[in-house]
Amino acid sequence: MTATENIKIEKPPKGASIPAKEGIKKAILGVFKKALETEALDAIMIPVKVPETESYAWVLLKDTTLLENADPLPPVMTIQGGKVLSDLTKHGKINKNIAAVLRPCETRAAVELFKLKQLHFENITLISIDCPGAIPLSEYLAEPEKSKKSFDNVLDKWDGDDAVRKVCQICYRFSLPTLTNAPASDLHIGLSGNTKDDVLLIPVTPKGEKILERLDLKADSSLQKWETKIKEIKKIKSQRRKKFNHDFKANISGPEKFTAVFDGCINCHNCQSVCPICYCQQCYFDSATTKLSSEDYFRRAKERGALRFPLDTILFHLGRMSHMALSCVSCGACEDACPMSISVSQVFSLVGEQTQQAFNYTPGINREESLALQDYLEDEFCEVETPSECEPTNSNEVKENV
Amino acid sequence: MEKEYTPQIIGFLCTWCSYTGADLAGVSRLQIPPSIRVIRLMCSGRIDPLFVTKAFISGSDGVMMMGCHPGDCHYQKGNYYTRRRYKTINSVFESLHLDTERIFLSWVSASEGVKYAHVTKEFSDKITGLGPNPVKKEIFL
Amino acid sequence: MSDVLKIKKPVEEGITEFLKFLLEKNKVKGIFTLRKAGKTDSFSYSLITDVEEIKNAAPLTPIMPANAGQLLSSFTLEDAIKEPIAVVIRPCELRAFVELTKRTQANMENIYLISSTCAGVFPLKSAQNGKFSQLLPKYWEAAKKSEVLASLRPTCTACEHFVPALADITISVVGNKNLTEECSLHLNTSKGEELAQGAPGNKTTEKLNDKELAQLKELRLKEREKLFASVNDKNLGLAGLVKTFAPCLSCHGCRQVCPICFCTLCDFDSKTHEDTASHYQSELNQKGGARVPSGTIFFHTGRMIHMAVSCVNCGMCSDVCPADIPVATLFSMVGESLQKLFDYLPGRDLEEPAPSETFIENEFAGLGE
Repeated sequence: MTATENIKIEKPPKGASIPAKEGIKKAILGVFKKALETEALDAIMIPVKVPETESYAWVLLKDTTLLENADPLPPVMTIQGGKVLSDLTKHGKINKNIAAVLRPCETRAAVELFKLKQLHFENITLISIDCPGAIPLSEYLAEPEKSKKSFDNVLDKWDGDDAVRKVCQICYRFSLPTLTNAPASDLHIGLSGNTKDDVLLIPVTPKGEKILERLDLKADSSLQKWETKIKEIKKIKSQRRKKFNHDFKANISGPEKFTAVFDGCINCHNCQSVCPICYCQQCYFDSATTKLSSEDYFRRAKERGALRFPLDTILFHLGRMSHMALSCVSCGACEDACPMSISVSQVFSLVGEQTQQAFNYTPGINREESLALQDYLEDEFCEVETPSECEPTNSNEVKENV
Repeated sequence: MEKEYTPQIIGFLCTWCSYTGADLAGVSRLQIPPSIRVIRLMCSGRIDPLFVTKAFISGSDGVMMMGCHPGDCHYQKGNYYTRRRYKTINSVFESLHLDTERIFLSWVSASEGVKYAHVTKEFSDKITGLGPNPVKKEIFL
Repeated sequence: MSDVLKIKKPVEEGITEFLKFLLEKNKVKGIFTLRKAGKTDSFSYSLITDVEEIKNAAPLTPIMPANAGQLLSSFTLEDAIKEPIAVVIRPCELRAFVELTKRTQANMENIYLISSTCAGVFPLKSAQNGKFSQLLPKYWEAAKKSEVLASLRPTCTACEHFVPALADITISVVGNKNLTEECSLHLNTSKGEELAQGAPGNKTTEKLNDKELAQLKELRLKEREKLFASVNDKNLGLAGLVKTFAPCLSCHGCRQVCPICFCTLCDFDSKTHEDTASHYQSELNQKGGARVPSGTIFFHTGRMIHMAVSCVNCGMCSDVCPADIPVATLFSMVGESLQKLFDYLPGRDLEEPAPSETFIENEFAGLGE
């Protein structure tokens, strides 16, 4: 991936409008079908419903009949798409011209994984899509029909809803900004704010433009309506997030309350294995390093009168937080995978946001921005050393704009 | 496509007996089915059950495990373990209603070139009869 | 016939009192048992060394936050315990502990094994809505009457190995009509006798309640048949397995909580089984599409081949599966036929080698000839 490949195009003020008489998903799939047929793309990576089930699996496909069961925006997030793209390309680039259709948080995870050298973007056109959230996985699996209905509802209203996961309800990055230096995605699918009659394909990079060209699609529709609606929803959701974080913080702050959150943890590490950012082949917390002698167990038990097994569940969560919270994209995969219904993603999202703000870093919106811990400024964080003499380095403002 | 179907069969052969037996079959100009692809190992005890499973899941139409006759293992007892592993794979496949017919164990000694030619032909014919492994078309593995 | 220590208290209180006695009289230096964690309905295994902490012990609470065999392995993996402890664990956990010990992943030295005739546990999910305590009266009622509660973990409803094999002390629970009045501890070994010496309560001699145990076994076997019947051609065979594992997230949580899967780095999490972009490209060429990540069915089949012969049917795997796949049922079923094949029951005997580690020269005669 070269720096020049992903420079922004000067002005993406317009998008291609695709009529969606038979629903937005059909319209999007129609575009993909054409892209495959005309060989504008060799293959597409997209969630596909496994035949005779209600489950979605990620499939890299070129056979257009498989598109019939595909869903660019399924009601649930199965495996985090960023992670899937990393599974596909971490050992080297793909030699076909493919597109991957990801939710904004998945796109951002892909960008973080790219920065972490766990993913190759060469030959991949990243297509992001406006996302109203996802239904909790367990609810969907228990009642797929009901969940599908409530997801359709959410897709109508766009300002979040009790039906979607908590982190989705308070997610204000449900769309992707198109005007950064090195945008996350190449092509963005705008859904919100349109009448249900059309879908907007917004080219973000030359790669995205090229696809539209190959498909004979002209980016000549105004984005104004879409942008206005995005801003509107974003405002609602930001406020909701602010309020939620404020209340939630009060509920989990302090050693006792924090420990109580993870009381039920059984150390299965599902949260870590589904986390797109946790890419290590073997987690430190699963390694032999964490093994103790029996005497150590005894010593620790005697210090407190009783020692809980497995040990150090709090250390695991705090440690994982310190490892990955700066890149946490609040996708909620961890909470979906938690068998003990612990509000993991809410905690990580809150902690992540605060940590990210300290570094003025938003994970995954800019491919060229270096990881917060790989970079430093000589004169930053003077408040750490001499608090009396300076202002905090970063304010707590949300910096991005659509 | 299926006008003349030649199956793809992977054979895991121990170097001391079965591979030498296969070699003898070749030197003796016996006909060996072209469907067989041989992977040579030092001992049939080296055949990790996952090799067999992986070959099956990756689309091999048949998988053969071959080694010295029980009691004749160059390393004394490697093939006794192989036998248990074969039974394990077989039992798991059977419980899961997967095609056990496609996994095959045979003891072929260094002098049994004729047996090698015979069993490979028999197995290859059987697999040809079974047709392509359905995993070849399965996307959601 | 074995010596029995009877404590005139409801079974849970009785055993707790016994544990307190052990710690107070310095018979052991620690008690490993379930204990109430901070929140309501939150239980975890703990090593209790302080008598004061015994009041939080909940040794027979029908929940399994982790297979204790796995936890005891982490405790004793590096070296044996130097000071004696008593552990209160369920039969399947004990069996897992034995299996791990055989594989040198655990050490039984200095451990007194206390187990119970087990009436099963509830799924972890049932302890997440704050209503767990409401389940308990029914549970104890069913235990008394040797009945099968449908709301238990599916593998528990279908478990026939609910009488512990190698315990020093067995707490009589299943079919014990007096369990709300008295706690009967069967002292099976000299270690058990030694432990109970001087303990409060009356000593008698009697047999475990064979009739009631047989009754439960019969019911459980029927449930087992039903459970296995739920796995059929619809979810087996290549097409069926694809459907069964369609929702799999590849989180490998089932493997993580499995007491038998002890590898520090699972083969399936290693680089060996990570596919490259060129693999996916060739899949794409051959099939027109490929699931990413690959290897879902391979993982489950491979894990079965690795460990199902030692599967103790504890049901942890199903309980942690975020995609609600009936992993435990499948593994139970596959495990049962493997265990029959090698005439093996995991954890029944410490000396019996695992089938993969041994062989009989003249077994499976004629095979491969």
